[in-house]
Amino acid sequence: MTFLNMFGSKEEPTATKADDRLSLVLSYQRSDIDERKLKFFQARLIELCDEFDFDVVGQVTIIPQSKERTTIINASIPVRKKENG
Amino acid sequence: MTLNHRSVAITITSGKGGVGKSTTVASAGLGLAQLGYRVCLVDTDIGLRKLDLMLGLENRIVYDLVDVVEGQCKIRQALVRHKEYPELALLPAAQTRYKEEVVPQQMEQLIHELRKEFDYILIDSPAGIEGGFRNAIVAADRAIIVVNPEIPSVRDSDRVIGLLESANIGQIDLVINRVQSDMIKDGDMLSVERVQNHLAINLLGIVPEDKRIIRSSNTGEPVILDDKSMAGKAYANIARRLSGHDVPFLELESDTLISKIKRLFHIA
Repeated sequence: MTFLNMFGSKEEPTATKADDRLSLVLSYQRSDIDERKLKFFQARLIELCDEFDFDVVGQVTIIPQSKERTTIINASIPVRKKENG
Repeated sequence: MTLNHRSVAITITSGKGGVGKSTTVASAGLGLAQLGYRVCLVDTDIGLRKLDLMLGLENRIVYDLVDVVEGQCKIRQALVRHKEYPELALLPAAQTRYKEEVVPQQMEQLIHELRKEFDYILIDSPAGIEGGFRNAIVAADRAIIVVNPEIPSVRDSDRVIGLLESANIGQIDLVINRVQSDMIKDGDMLSVERVQNHLAINLLGIVPEDKRIIRSSNTGEPVILDDKSMAGKAYANIARRLSGHDVPFLELESDTLISKIKRLFHIA
């Protein structure tokens, strides 16, 4: 049975996950990100969407990432154009 | 042999403990001495010294770093010369004192004095970013960050790089230690490239995981003296790069028939 298991699917490599986690923890560490400020930033983005005639139609996510000692803030905002816009 | 060389003080640090700082100091220092440079290794890990053991000099210590800064002895009296390589000297840390007993100004003065006699001063920093770390970096011209390819070590190193930059350390280099090429190949260890990209500093050396390092710690002979050790070769290259030579990085791949078969059957 052990022998047969050898042909089974291999476990997912962990280094890719580690790389993503590392990118996230370094971003937080380098920018000294304040979670409250990040939520405020998220709220302002939603307000901006409204100003520009977009309805936010899903979960807004703000993910800081780190690349070569620079922090990149990735914002994912699912929107739809306002019908009366 | 005395070479015409401006004295350089280099702090070896990491943030996290147990990543191989003292191993790096012992072998890189010995490597520089083998190249003919006058080298002083300064152990600043007061209360937890280990460089003496790694160099096999533990039985020859009379005075230590704290004795020197307190004026109990002259620097020359506290320096312990290596038996085979007299160009290499160790200034041991005190084992029964506390880090707080030395302040940065005293360290600055000490390194200033050592510069008159040595081409390279390698300062072994304690783990952490507290007073001992500040003592270790206060007089450094350069720093070497030793990191293991794993998240806790890389995160701590990143924090230390920030502190070194704030302290205006001129050059910061990276040594990636305990690299296992088979684990990288299987996707279970961060690659050298990824670690270097995250930390974004100059790569000085890549040291493979090597069981012979344990043997070297036990015998008090730095691994650079072990002809059979890949890590020893890597440290010899690091010493040569530190002295300005352009040396290619070691090829760490060990793609044996067995490892190929293991990967084919997904059991590696």
